[in-house]
Amino acid sequence: MSALTLDHVTKLFDDDGDEIVAVDDVSIDIADGEFLVLVGPSGCGKSTTLRMIAGLESISRGEIRLGGTVINDKPPADRDIAMVFQSYALYPHMTVRENMRFGLEESTDMADDDIERTVTDTAEMLGISSMLGRKPKELSGGQQQRVALGRAIVRDPEVFLMDEPLSNLDAKLRAEMRTELQRLQEDLDTTTVYVTHDQTEAMTMGDKIAILNDGRLQQVATPLEAYHEPANRFVAGFIGEPSMNFFEMEVQGDRLVGEEFSYPVSESTLENVGDAERVTLGVRPEDVRLVGEKTDEHDFQTTVDVVEPMGRENNVYLAFTADSEATFVASVDGMRSVEAGQPAIARIPEEAIHLFDGDTGVTLQNRSLEDLEQTEPRI
Amino acid sequence: MATDAPAAPAEPSDDQADPTETRESDRGLGDQLRDVGPGRVALYAVLLALGAFYLAPLESGLLTAFKTQEAFFSTTPFAPPPIDGTTVAPWLSAFDTLSGGLVNSFILVVPATLISALLGSLAAYGLTNIDWRGQLVVLLLFVAGVFIPYQAVLVPLTRFWTMVGLNDLLAFWEPLASRADLVALIITHAAYGIPICTVLFRSFYSTIDGEMLEAARLDGASAATIYRRIILPLSGPIFAVTLIYQFTQIWNDLLFALVLLSSPENQVVTIALNKLKGSMVQQYNLQMAGAFIAALPTLLVYVLFGEQFAEGVAGET
Repeated sequence: MSALTLDHVTKLFDDDGDEIVAVDDVSIDIADGEFLVLVGPSGCGKSTTLRMIAGLESISRGEIRLGGTVINDKPPADRDIAMVFQSYALYPHMTVRENMRFGLEESTDMADDDIERTVTDTAEMLGISSMLGRKPKELSGGQQQRVALGRAIVRDPEVFLMDEPLSNLDAKLRAEMRTELQRLQEDLDTTTVYVTHDQTEAMTMGDKIAILNDGRLQQVATPLEAYHEPANRFVAGFIGEPSMNFFEMEVQGDRLVGEEFSYPVSESTLENVGDAERVTLGVRPEDVRLVGEKTDEHDFQTTVDVVEPMGRENNVYLAFTADSEATFVASVDGMRSVEAGQPAIARIPEEAIHLFDGDTGVTLQNRSLEDLEQTEPRI
Repeated sequence: MATDAPAAPAEPSDDQADPTETRESDRGLGDQLRDVGPGRVALYAVLLALGAFYLAPLESGLLTAFKTQEAFFSTTPFAPPPIDGTTVAPWLSAFDTLSGGLVNSFILVVPATLISALLGSLAAYGLTNIDWRGQLVVLLLFVAGVFIPYQAVLVPLTRFWTMVGLNDLLAFWEPLASRADLVALIITHAAYGIPICTVLFRSFYSTIDGEMLEAARLDGASAATIYRRIILPLSGPIFAVTLIYQFTQIWNDLLFALVLLSSPENQVVTIALNKLKGSMVQQYNLQMAGAFIAALPTLLVYVLFGEQFAEGVAGET
């Protein structure tokens, strides 16, 4: 097992003379045995990054090191890396057994008996022993997924690379496989880089997540850090479902003034804002409370626009005025009855707000974590 | 040759059938028959007439081959042979004349077909599934090669083989040296077939999942291993297409054979067929039997690989 380091890695594509920067100066350290999730919207360069680690794309600038050795110029076969593809990429003319044997036959000198034993053991671990004689076409999507995993696991590589391996599964199976993958990775203790566009997968699976946007690394952090202490507005908006509410505000004295409302802020917040004239105020839906009457200066009169009942909670879309187009979301308890059209008083507590620079999007202030410690004790 | 003539025109006409009428298929046959419109009747009449038109020469040829010379003169060509005028003698006689040519044709066609298909497959793999600089130019050369007409290369081709002097090169082994013409023809046909085979294989290989080949690379397989263990086993249907195509092309070729084969013992069946042409009296029964015997192998190849051929044409991987 080894640590994997991306050191100022850049990938340029040539498009008829124009250079397109797909991955821009990305540096990430992945510790031995760590599960890193690379997450970002489509086209953000996460798959390209993964393919550079695999050796399927060349590296334009920077270095990738595995266990201290630079692997930039090593062909894929010599990197001791196994990859699970989104399409599973199983060999259709081979049985499950042959699919899993292939890598060992091609990359090792293992004796036939040893290969057979490894394949059988792995198949047992994944619960696909009974399918070893079948062709991929005869298997369901979930079973094919397991074979693709098995093919990677038998190799016992230094690093697993996974390119959106769960995106072709239905929602229920995806949730199951998510847990199973995590358990597997913990048991095997193999360094893993997992690419997804699904922020739920990123939050639930990763030891650490790396958020990419437009080829640039936004933040590398634990899932909870990325959620509660985003480095910038992009991360704040990308992580979390429903997304964080954003309001464009202007700093006027000790108030933040927006189009729809003005928000008084304390001395310490003003200090964090510093010289910025325009800021973005962000607040997570679960931090917006619906209260009975206006008692605080952070309470605002709103009208309920739409209610999305999720069962456990209601996502309530609120508008400051009845005919306003712009809404923001509050997540309230599922048992609480809220109806569209009724007036509501929304409290946006100051300790829960995030502030981002209006121009650069860089975080000026994150929510207070004292509150967090009480309500969401970490293990 | 004549073998694919009857099927070809019938299919397009079928496709042109009014699409609204096909909905009737979910009702009973009786119901369908009862309200068959005049349009439908006319359509079938035209189809039948077309079928008969295209099949008539084949039928006439086949029946003529079973008639004695007298019976041939006394009956119309498409009438069945009279009882006392039925004979298989033309078949035996034609086979006797053609047998040497048939053997030579097989000696020519089998290796030439296999070589062009195999090299075409390899070239297509290199041009489709492996990335390298300048491959587009090479591909264009292959595509251009498809369009070179036989007639255009006749003179350079004969000069080339004269310069090579295959007879001398093969002199070390007498049986092969006497077959030098045939060897030259095998190589010529194999080379001439490579472009079209490459293009056919390329269209098939471009549908192969790129991630699967990348997975194989990560599994430690070299380009050669990927070809041998993954591409080749998946190429069955497209091999059927190219084998049938090349087999028919080379088997039916007369031009190259006429130009390159000099000694009578190397004659292929298309040349031998000419020997059945009488100098004074035309023996049509003999000529017809000979034509059918010469065409039979290409028909057999279609029958043998038909299913895979259909898969290959449909582009299934």
